[in-house]
Formats: sequence, structure tokens, C-alpha cells
Amino acid sequence: MSTQLLRSLPAEAASATASSAFTASDSVGALAQWVDPIASTMPVLAVGERFLDAGSAAWLSLPVVEAGRPVGSVSRYELMQRVYIKPFGRELHGRRAVSLLMHTAPLVLAAETTIEIASRYIGTRIRQPIMEDFIVVDADGIYAGAGKVLDVLAAMERQVAQHSSDLGLAYNKLKSSQSQLIQSEKMASLGQMVAGLAHEINTPLGYVRNNVEMTHAALGDVRALIQSYQDVVDAVLSGSDPAEFERRAVALELRRASVDAAALDDLRGLLDDTVFGVGQIADLVGNLKDFSRLDQARMESVDVHKLIESALKIGGNLLRKNNVSIARQFGDVPPIECSPAQINQVLLNLITNAAQAIEHAQGRITLRTHAVGRYVLIAVEDNGKGIAADHLERIFDPFFTTKAIGQGTGLGLSICYQIVEQHHGRIRVTSTADTGTRFLVVLPLRAEVKAEVKGDSLT
Amino acid sequence: MSPNKISVLFVDDEERILRSLRMLFRGRYEILVTTSAREAIEIVRGQQVHVVVSDQRMPELTGVELLREVREASPSTMRLLLTGYSDLQAIVASVNDGEIFRFLEKPWQAPYVLDAVDQAVKIASAEFSAKATKAPSIVPASGLKLLVLDEDGDTVCMTREMVAEKHEVRHADSVESALAVLSQQNVAIVIAELKHHRDDVAGVLKTLKRYNPATLAIAVSDLGDSRGLIQLINQGQVYRFLPKPLSRELLRRSVQAACDHYARTRAAPILLRRHVVEEAKFEPVSLSAKLLDYWRRIRENSRLRQDM
Repeated sequence: MSTQLLRSLPAEAASATASSAFTASDSVGALAQWVDPIASTMPVLAVGERFLDAGSAAWLSLPVVEAGRPVGSVSRYELMQRVYIKPFGRELHGRRAVSLLMHTAPLVLAAETTIEIASRYIGTRIRQPIMEDFIVVDADGIYAGAGKVLDVLAAMERQVAQHSSDLGLAYNKLKSSQSQLIQSEKMASLGQMVAGLAHEINTPLGYVRNNVEMTHAALGDVRALIQSYQDVVDAVLSGSDPAEFERRAVALELRRASVDAAALDDLRGLLDDTVFGVGQIADLVGNLKDFSRLDQARMESVDVHKLIESALKIGGNLLRKNNVSIARQFGDVPPIECSPAQINQVLLNLITNAAQAIEHAQGRITLRTHAVGRYVLIAVEDNGKGIAADHLERIFDPFFTTKAIGQGTGLGLSICYQIVEQHHGRIRVTSTADTGTRFLVVLPLRAEVKAEVKGDSLT
Repeated sequence: MSPNKISVLFVDDEERILRSLRMLFRGRYEILVTTSAREAIEIVRGQQVHVVVSDQRMPELTGVELLREVREASPSTMRLLLTGYSDLQAIVASVNDGEIFRFLEKPWQAPYVLDAVDQAVKIASAEFSAKATKAPSIVPASGLKLLVLDEDGDTVCMTREMVAEKHEVRHADSVESALAVLSQQNVAIVIAELKHHRDDVAGVLKTLKRYNPATLAIAVSDLGDSRGLIQLINQGQVYRFLPKPLSRELLRRSVQAACDHYARTRAAPILLRRHVVEEAKFEPVSLSAKLLDYWRRIRENSRLRQDM
């Protein structure tokens, strides 16, 4: 269809139409212009005349077409070499048909050929020095115009530039969606922690509330008792009649019998419990606050053991649920410089993973620390089901998860890996099926953290 | 310790909870407390305990495991859970394994807990004193009427295959047709799918239990909502929770247990008191005259049977 248009339109218009007619602007059709072809029977001298036409000035070669199909091309350069420069060249070849001189294997491209394929084709086929243009044919192989090799290269360059800017856009998109995912992983684990903590808080809250309510009721009793005493004292002081005094004394006796003195004594103990319980709730909430400051990549000098205890407390709900016992084998470890919220996140992740890997009743997680030179080693070891060898090598890959859909994002360990790397540390895993898994985190005592951690994508 | 004294045993691994509860129940009963689930079992084996109130998460045994042991050692002892962890597995197990009377949550409301324990104490003491005179003999049940309320008919097929020879199985595909059956016949067991496309099946089970405590309910559900399940225990005294997809073996065991239990309560109607439910906060609203009439008849039939 577009071929018809091309053939009937002047060169400029045809080219413009071609670029809109071919939906893909990245095909050679968009670069083609109509050039009046040469018949194969045209005498060589007449071809020379054609090259002198103003319309041919821009072309290196002219197409030779027979019955609508390209059969060869004649280049300006070859014509000069073989006819005009050679002694007696004009006399020898001038009247002969051009078909005897033409190049019989011209560059022919279908209009729908992509720029990419065209440039590869031209690259392998073109003769040096560049002395020809390419011929464009339609889907049926009918001559449709000609194009310049340099235009293909220019189009190719434009395409490459476009691709790299597309790539840049895609890369930025990917980066922002990755940081969104990391954020949602953090929110998900935070949500789990909050749910666990809510349960954890219910126990102290249970007795604190009950004790406070009972104290409230008891204070009412005590107040009434004091009032009864006061009534008696008032009666004595005001010297009221003996009958009134008697009545008030009886009321006091009744009141005293109804108030359980032993219970009031026990109340003191219950208030001690209440203070303890409130402290425990404050402790749990305080730990949660430490974890929620995930946006702070600020470096602090902290005690590793405190971080471990904090993670154990936050993960306590899960550990208790699975009845896992904790063994601490802590060495003499100096404080380390790190981002506490981030290292907390790593430890909590390793501890909850360990707890989830245990499917039997004798669950045990061993936490070891010791200092080696300028580093501190933290090992989290479980006696759970272990990790299959083919899973082990992918364990830190983003989105790799063995949990059911919706159970894990597959980002937990990948984030741990990133955090540890940014601390210039190392994280390693070893595992034996049905025996257990050990994660080893090595962190430097002094932080020389990469600059990007500060405004880092994790936060 | 005199055997006639009423005793209530509290079990929790946090002793501050025990101290607090002991104070709350001071002067009411003989209060026993322990932080050890194992010790709790020993106590129940060694003396008459009317009510056991247990925490769920404890180091040696879960509350449900403890209550199951208590049930075996002393079936007349009433069992309650008092827990801060209302996870679905625990709730389901508390019904199926523990056959508990109430599921109480921490932090608790004192009047609510006092009331629940008082009720449990009354039921247990009546049962203990009735037992002192005669032990109910269990007659294996046959010819009972079972009603299956489900939309797709899978559950009713499974149930029919299981009990075809021994019991009669009726099918209802809507609450209305279920109530029609219930108002005319003395149904022993209702097997109901909670997720019905528009009807409030849970509400029906709760009301049914209030009007006719003898009928046992087996609820089939995909168990999404822990709050809803807790209400079905406290307000509906559901006999079993079965998760979807329905397991044939689980259904068979549950139907068998329900038939046996029904036979026991028929032999000793005092056992019916175990199924007393807490008043639901929301009455079923905007019932049609037809449905109200069904409910009236269900209530009257139940009264008639109890008077006989």
C-alpha cells in the first residue's frame, strides 16, 4: 500500500509519507526516498547524464530496475573509474547497455526492515570505500525507493540514545520500586512485631488492670472505715448523747468486720506487682521504639549484647509460641560502632528465621559472640530443619523465599545482607538438613561506613 | 480439705496473675494456684476441683493440652481459658480438645470473669453432687436426627455416607429451611457452614443454643476470624470447629463424639447445664414473622421435652 504512494509521489513527500505510513518509525521505509530508477537497457552515457541531473546530486548510486524489481545498481564512483577516467572508456562502453557494467549484487532492503537489522546487514555487505546507496523494496520485492547508508547510521545512533535514556528511566523506576518493597518488608516485620508485642503486653496488663481496680475498690472501703472512726471521734469530742455514741460505735464495729485487714496487707504486694508490670510494659514499648527508628542510620557506640537482648525481647512472642529455649554464649566483646536500629533489624530477622525453622518441641537457639582482632563475631544457630543446598546459595537473593505466598517477601535476608555490607561487615550461612542452620555476622569494631549509608536507600 | 468445699484452680506461668486472681476471688471459694501445668494435673487427680482456669502459653504444656488432661481426669470439672494470645489454632483446639466453657481474654473485666467462674462453679457442683447419687449409663445412640446446613451439598453427602444406617440426615440449604426442620423435629446435631452467602449462620447457632441447649452444633468454617470464633464459644457453646476443606476423618470423629455426647446428656439431663451460653449482645434483628414463628416453636418444643 505504501509502495503505491511512494512510487507516485515526489521524493520529499514520499519520504515524509513513508515515515507516517510505516507505523514503525524505526524501519528503513521511513528513510526511503523515491528515485527514478534506470532501465537495464539504458546506454552507459545516458546514465552518466542522469548523474549530472540536479535530482541525482545527492546520490552515490542509482538503482537499476527491470519489470519493477531491482536487478542492480550503478555507482557514480564506478562509472568514473571504468568509463570516464579510463582511456577510450567512453568510446568502448558509452553505447552499451548499463546492465553490462552495473553492480549485480546491490544492497536491497525490505521497507519494514528495522534500523537495527538494516545497519547490521549494511555493515556486513557494504564495499569499501562507500560508493553506493541502498535500494528499498516492498513486501513483494517491488522497487519502492532508495536510501542513504549514512541516514541508517544516524537513525541507529538516535535509537541507541533513546534506548539508553529508556534504560535510565527503567533503572530509576526499578530503584524506586525496590526501595518501596524494602519499606513494605520493614512495615510487614514491624506489623508482626507489634502484633506479637500486643499479646506480650496483655499479660502484665491483665494483672495491672485487675490490681488497680481492686485497689480502687479497697480505697473506698478504707475511706468508709476512716469516716466511721471519724464519726466516733466526733461524737466523743462534741459530747453528744450516749445513745448516738453507741450507735456510731456499733456502725464502726460493723464496718471493721466488713473490711478484710489481711486483704489490705496483700494489696501492698499487689501494688508492687503493679509497679513491676508497668515497668515491663514500658520496657516492651521502649524496645519497640528502638526498632521503629529504622530511618536513623546514625552511628553509635553500642553493646552488642544489649542489641541481642532487645531483639530477643521483641521476638519473644514467636519464641514462646514455639517453645524455643535460648542459650547465650557471650564472649568479652567491646562496644561496636554501628547503626543500632539497623543491626537490631538484622538480629531480629535472624532470630525469627531461626525460630520459624524449628518444627519440633526441643527447639534451641544458640547466640554466640566473641571479638577477633578488630572485628566482633555474632553467631545465631538453630537446631531446626536446615536449608537445602540449592536454596543456600540463593538465600541472600532479593525475593528468594521458601515461605508460602503472602508469608514472606523474600527480602528479609537480602536486607540483612545489605545492612551488614554497608557496615563493612560480612554475613555467612552454613546449614545441614535436619540438623540446623548457623548464620555468622562479622562486624568491624570501628565503623568506616560507606557514604551512601547516611542518606541511604534502606531508610 | 473437705470434698464438699468448692475449689477453683488457677494455672498461669506468671505468678503475678495468680496473686491478682487470688485476690479477686478472695473469700468466695477455696482458691488453688500453680505456675506449673504438670502440678495442676496432679492437683485435679488428687482432689475434687470444680473449675480450672488456665493460661494458654506456658512452658511445659499449653493451656489446651492441660485442659484436655483435666477433662480426662475429671470430666465434671468445668474448664476455662484465660489468655492474652487469641491465635486461631488455640481457639479451635480449646473447643475440639478442651471442650471449654468460656474463652476469656487478658486483660480481663473483673465482673465478667467473676460471673463466668460463678456460673461454672454452679454447674460443676450440681454435676458433682448428682454423680454422688448415680452415674449416668451411656446408651449407644441410634436413630438420631442430624441436620446439615450447607449450600453446595458436599457436606451433606459426606455425612449421609457416614451415618446412613444409624441416623437420619436432613439437608437445608438456607437458614429458613433449617429453622423449618428444627421447629418440627427434635434435631440432635446441627452441622452448619458458617459462611453462608447471606444468612447469619453464627447468629442462628447462638440463638439455637439458648433456646434448645440439647442440640449440639458442629461449625464448619475457613476459620478467618478469631473474634467471631471466641463469641461462638462463649455465646454459642459450639461443640466442634471443623476447618475447611472438610476432612472426612475429622467429620466422622466429630459426629461420633457428638452422638455419644447427646446420648449422655439424654441419660443425665444435668449435663445440659454445661451448655449454658452467655447472653449475646446483639439480638438477631429484623426477623420475618415466619422466622420468629419458627423460633417460638423451637423454644416451646424444647420446654416440652425438658418437662417430660
